[in-house]
Amino acid sequence: MSAAAKTSQAGSRKSDGPSLIRPSRNKPTSLSRDSILGYLLIAPILLVLVLTIAFPLVSAVISGFQDQRIIGTSSSFVGFETYLKVINDGSFWDSLGRSGLWVVVNVVVQTILAFCVAFSLQQRGRWSKSARTWVVLPWVIPTVAVSVIWQWLLNSNYGVLHYLLAEIGINLGSPFGEPSTALFAVILVNSWHWFPLGAVVIYGALSTVPLDVIEAARMDGAGAGRIFWSITFPILQPVLFALGLVGSLWSFNILDSIYLITAGGPIEATTTAPVFVYDLAFSEFRSSQAAAASVLTALVLGAAALLFVRFGRPAENV
Amino acid sequence: MIIQSSPGRAFLETPVSWLKKIPSVVSQVLITLVVFAPMYWIVISAFKGPEEIIRSIPTFWPESWTFGNFERLLTSTDYLVFLGNSLTVSITTALISVVVSVAAAYGLYRLNVPGGGRIAGAILLAYMIPGTLLIVPLHQTLSSIGLIDSLSALVLLNVAFTAPFSTWLLRGFILSIPSELDDAAAIDGAGAVRTMFEVVLPLLTPGMATVAVYSFVFSWTEFVFASQFVSRQELQTLPIGLSAIIGQYTVDWGLVLAGVLLTMLPAVFIFLLVGRFFVGGLIAGATK
Repeated sequence: MSAAAKTSQAGSRKSDGPSLIRPSRNKPTSLSRDSILGYLLIAPILLVLVLTIAFPLVSAVISGFQDQRIIGTSSSFVGFETYLKVINDGSFWDSLGRSGLWVVVNVVVQTILAFCVAFSLQQRGRWSKSARTWVVLPWVIPTVAVSVIWQWLLNSNYGVLHYLLAEIGINLGSPFGEPSTALFAVILVNSWHWFPLGAVVIYGALSTVPLDVIEAARMDGAGAGRIFWSITFPILQPVLFALGLVGSLWSFNILDSIYLITAGGPIEATTTAPVFVYDLAFSEFRSSQAAAASVLTALVLGAAALLFVRFGRPAENV
Repeated sequence: MIIQSSPGRAFLETPVSWLKKIPSVVSQVLITLVVFAPMYWIVISAFKGPEEIIRSIPTFWPESWTFGNFERLLTSTDYLVFLGNSLTVSITTALISVVVSVAAAYGLYRLNVPGGGRIAGAILLAYMIPGTLLIVPLHQTLSSIGLIDSLSALVLLNVAFTAPFSTWLLRGFILSIPSELDDAAAIDGAGAVRTMFEVVLPLLTPGMATVAVYSFVFSWTEFVFASQFVSRQELQTLPIGLSAIIGQYTVDWGLVLAGVLLTMLPAVFIFLLVGRFFVGGLIAGATK
């Protein structure tokens, strides 16, 4: 890379002012050496993503038009039959509904927890300073360990939480074993695992709220609630929007927490869409059906994400 | 540091408002308990003997500390094999993910290649597709390229699922390095490659640490891919190995909890070493 080419690139980047050394000779259509280097640098991630996401996605759509059972065995083209089979399967729609509930309750519980923690992290003192790091520990612990930890705490024979609650007269029963409570019990465990990321991000966003504006509002007699809704919240909105979108998609995608604690049971009470697909492929060995269910789920998810972006995106001119 | 509701300061101003401090102390105690109480319970349980651990009235401090659970774990299970596999996969993933995402972020946000915005969008979009829904076709893809039942497959998938978020995280770091540095280096005669290695990359160390921690923790925890794409016992990672141990020794809570403790310890240890950078980096990346 010669210095001349480099400066001409620098010149073309600052096209609105006089160039430092000599005017740019780059035509907009010709690739500068910087751009070639740039594309070379971007190539590896694109290669990985094409291989692991784009290619499998296309093959999932195709597989949905076939009738393969165990992965890798022979299959023939059956048109929309497999897709129709999934669409007419009531338990597929039930699992999607459970996924909706799973995402909404997870996001609500984690956002509330994250806000409470973020406000505490903002305070002065040694506790807040150290907590800003260790509060992330529940996320660092492997999911398999998280699932055992809570199964041990809530064990109906030897669990300490079970024991402590019984002492104050609350019979917990077996929260993961009852169809009516299992989903919410797993949601609480999953929220314990994931709230730290939201807490740290919200804490970071809170730190960008200008202190003097808040002081001025307080001087004018605004209460804490008023200050939050009129000043803090609008500033947080873009971060909350991104967090809500990414967090919802991450939550939707979660399989390990559920699978390791209840494996989708009891009586399908915790079978969300990912668990449904997973079981279809690896317990019932209907891989084409699982692929079709994946494609349909991705379509529903994409539509939900578009709606969220359409109606949830904060106005640009706040 | 910015303080939203400031009971701390109020306390300095008037002694009466000492009462106002109570909610914040209560919330500090609650948060500490929520994070540490479950971990405390696992640690002390793992050191209890077989009789003490299943008492109907639990002891809050072991009457006698024993290493028996850990001895049984190390002698009668393949824990050390799983540990070795997990370390291999997680460290390799962290290294490759750093290289791949730093390269991509540099090309996208520093060299500003034409069409970079659209490429960045496509990378993020790819990231939004749930990995779980891809397990079935991924199985076929990995078989056809001969990677099924190998640790390389896990590294490849972990990189695919950590690099997009890492690239996005690095954006904040790269934007905070003044581009005047590049121009100065160019005037001094440094080419683009030298500018990248000698000017920008050294300043990107906190960002690289963040990405490395994120990728390491992701791979250390990853369960779904590891459970489906690796079937040989001697290649299994800790989450899979541990869940097999749990299935095999369901009644031996002591051994299971010792396994849980030793599975979370490496990740916790690494986090305590470099977690500060991770939290700082996450905040910088997310609020830029």
